[in-house]
Amino acid sequence: MPFNAFSDISITGSLTIVPEYKRSIEQETELYGGNKKLIERLKKTLGLNERRIVQNSETAYDLCSEAVSRLIKENKIDVNEIGVIIFVTQTADHSQPGNALKIHGKFRFPTSCAAFDVNLGCSGFVYSLWLAFSLVSGSASSKVLVLAGDTLSRLVNPKDRSVAALFGDAGSATIVEEKKGVGNSYFSLGSNGRGFNDLIVPAGGARLPISNKTKKEFVDEEGNIRTKENLYMNGSEVFNFSIEVIPREIESLLNYARCKISEVDYFVLHQANRYMVQNICKRMNCDLDKFPVKSFEAFGNLSSVSIPGAMAYQMKEVLSSKTKQRVILSGFGVGLSWASCLLNLGKMDFLKWEEYSFK
Amino acid sequence: MEIKDFILQIEDSLDGLDPNSIELSTNLKSLKEWDSLAILTLTDTIDLNYGIILKKAEIESCSSVDELYHLVKYKSENK
Repeated sequence: MPFNAFSDISITGSLTIVPEYKRSIEQETELYGGNKKLIERLKKTLGLNERRIVQNSETAYDLCSEAVSRLIKENKIDVNEIGVIIFVTQTADHSQPGNALKIHGKFRFPTSCAAFDVNLGCSGFVYSLWLAFSLVSGSASSKVLVLAGDTLSRLVNPKDRSVAALFGDAGSATIVEEKKGVGNSYFSLGSNGRGFNDLIVPAGGARLPISNKTKKEFVDEEGNIRTKENLYMNGSEVFNFSIEVIPREIESLLNYARCKISEVDYFVLHQANRYMVQNICKRMNCDLDKFPVKSFEAFGNLSSVSIPGAMAYQMKEVLSSKTKQRVILSGFGVGLSWASCLLNLGKMDFLKWEEYSFK
Repeated sequence: MEIKDFILQIEDSLDGLDPNSIELSTNLKSLKEWDSLAILTLTDTIDLNYGIILKKAEIESCSSVDELYHLVKYKSENK
């Protein structure tokens, strides 16, 4: 497990863009065969409520592009100051080239700026921060732009009860740079490729290109309907993995950082669902007030964007104030893969979420 | 580990279940409340009370509450 520490580097700003269109769990009666009692249980137990989803064929690129465009207009990004663009997504526009290059070209970043994609989902934001902190620390660039975007609503089969009502779409733009006096940040990362099949889109890559066969719907053992081009999730395995690995993972990060759990002000976990966050919190014997969870009920599971989305939705005031907060960020999911970090956050230049209407 | 407590814990974790609807011989799969969400909450309850994370297939392989009880008991004594 890689452990890394960095000094005087921080997140200085983050903007998350969500589509304007909202879809509520009450609108999913058809999906659940008219079973209103089940919908009530999903609401109460998992916290399913509202999701933001793209309505047409908008992509993660479009959402992140909108974020970058607004930040340039507001003078929060100067393209000439960015040395590296990292775009983390599971739903890139093309199999090649990556989304980061499309952004690079569109906004005319300088040719001295490196741009590449990271193929990860729910753990991807923290993985990309780790890369960004490493690059700033190694003087590759003094400022790194981390774009996280996913439109998983377009990958799920609308008739697959295990995933159809879970995911939302969003794109975010986050700036990582040197910040004097911010102190040390700590990262720990890991993966378990034996869980490779627990969250997977089987077709559409080089192994199984799309064909008439991969478009054919089938019914699985659970009675869920999907095709090989849709996202499959083994919900119980992913849940078991998360409650088993993540509390232990955060504990070892804190040991490495010589930080007591009581000294952490906030734990921003990947917003898989409310139940998952509450359960990890319970296993760490922590106060639920330290675990933001409201963004899940407003946006749905945003994959790589769920952590910046949660910070923007619920922590704007606290992370913009002068007081430095010790914050754990922890992402986990597809791979299986996980990453956590302990950061000192505060006095951020900007932290917000905004809507975008595609017309 | 008391079987009485175990049954109460199962009843608590299965939302919407009528009280006293579970006995030792009950096959959980036959309950109308039994679905993937129920498996999730039951897995969680068993882990919180006995420190064991059961796989979905293990839970579903038990044809009665009694069998599930013995599986959990065996695993918690042989950790």
